[in-house]
Amino acid sequence: MNPSILLSLALGSGWLLSPESLVIAGNSAGQLGFLILPLLAAVALLFTGCGKLLNNQSLPATDSKEFQIIQNLTGTIPAAGITIAACVPLTVLAATALLVTAGYTFNEVFLYWFPNFGFSFLLLALLTILQLFPEKIIFRAQICFTALAAGGLIILALSGMTGGERPATEIAQQPFSFASASPAVLLFIFAGSTFSGKKQTPSFLVPLAGFVIFFLWTFASLNYVNPERLASSTIPYMTAARKILGDPGRQIMGIVIISGTSAAVTGLMLLSRHMLANIFVKKETDKKLLGTKVLRWFFPPLIAIITAVLLATGLAGDELLEVLLRSALILWLLYYSFLCLSALVWINKSEHPIPLQALLSTLFLLISLCTLMISNPHKTSIYIFIFSALGISSIIAAGWFSIHKKTNKQMEVTA
Amino acid sequence: MKKILFLLSLVLLFTTLPVFAGEAPTMNKDELKAQMTSEKLAILDVRSGRDWSSSEFKIKGAVRAAASDLAKLSADYKKDQKLVLYCA
Repeated sequence: MNPSILLSLALGSGWLLSPESLVIAGNSAGQLGFLILPLLAAVALLFTGCGKLLNNQSLPATDSKEFQIIQNLTGTIPAAGITIAACVPLTVLAATALLVTAGYTFNEVFLYWFPNFGFSFLLLALLTILQLFPEKIIFRAQICFTALAAGGLIILALSGMTGGERPATEIAQQPFSFASASPAVLLFIFAGSTFSGKKQTPSFLVPLAGFVIFFLWTFASLNYVNPERLASSTIPYMTAARKILGDPGRQIMGIVIISGTSAAVTGLMLLSRHMLANIFVKKETDKKLLGTKVLRWFFPPLIAIITAVLLATGLAGDELLEVLLRSALILWLLYYSFLCLSALVWINKSEHPIPLQALLSTLFLLISLCTLMISNPHKTSIYIFIFSALGISSIIAAGWFSIHKKTNKQMEVTA
Repeated sequence: MKKILFLLSLVLLFTTLPVFAGEAPTMNKDELKAQMTSEKLAILDVRSGRDWSSSEFKIKGAVRAAASDLAKLSADYKKDQKLVLYCA
């Protein structure tokens, strides 16, 4: 396979293969039954349409096109504000949540004597150190993480399809389910899948790969586990893996969870660095290197320190983490919808025809996002989070650009 | 190189320090197993959030409870009952 396609797949699939996506897929499969399969196809098609829109020829072909597109509509500071608000909180909160899950998985599947939180902190340290290496090494590691996670899921799904066990009948009770709002939560699985970080990559690539993997996995899960149990379980992936292959199934799923967590955290850190570089780095050549030295040496350790503090202060043991993570995911989708809308405005201004698929995809994305927000039981907290994140990020952006302007003026005077 | 070593040490320091927790009276699994059938023993699963939802294992017969409601819990159980709280 072409190395750039492989890399695009690896970068876009980071979040897609995370334990969170597996929980959403498992719970949704339990709630919707086999109806989840066409819905997954619809969501993949929606993100393909959005990706196609962002690859439109009338849009700029630079690495920082996402920022430029929003900047064109709103101006620099609001564009910078929404970009920072979308990527930084999601990276921190997703890292906190996923590392806890990886820690428990390692402790319960592989080494009982190794403390779960110890593993969470160790993995965080390792993934942060990885970010300090040259890009080539990070990309190779990302390819390995995604290949392991996708490979493990496919092995389990295919084993499930070739086996002939009947579904279980017991029903477990569990009070809270991440995917309880509506089928629109499936959007969370594919969020960010069209950000491949590489130009000239077909927009259908990651959504299609995601659809195939989740089609196989949810199909196998539904064949083995009672839908009620899938819907109510907090770890539907492990329940299904155990039913399919017993203890070896748990071990394969353990590898999937740890490599999926690594892929998601690495992918989010890379994506955030890329997005922040687009705002703060002027030279186009520097942007290609996923930011300057400052972003490379400063951003990952900062994210790691915040994540470690959140883990150490017990956020993992608080229901608040779920609300915050959901809010950050909604904010991310809000940013993505806004980006698509801005792209439509740009194309319209340039007097090029707007592709129908792109228009419909943006429309459906907005409708689904509204459904997600309105139907959410924690909507007040979500609104507070979104407005706070946007406000703080805009203040940071305004501060940065005002200092930058002054420095530039001083340099001009000195010259 | 010095910069790299300094940053690596900083990252490791911040990410591994919280692992060292304070000491608390504990009961090992064999002691617990031996007393599992006793009516004078109540096992309380005080894990919450992701600590509970990410875990595959739950002790049979354990009751979910919030660690913050310890005062209320002591009122809910008899004085001669031993309360075993587990959080990991």
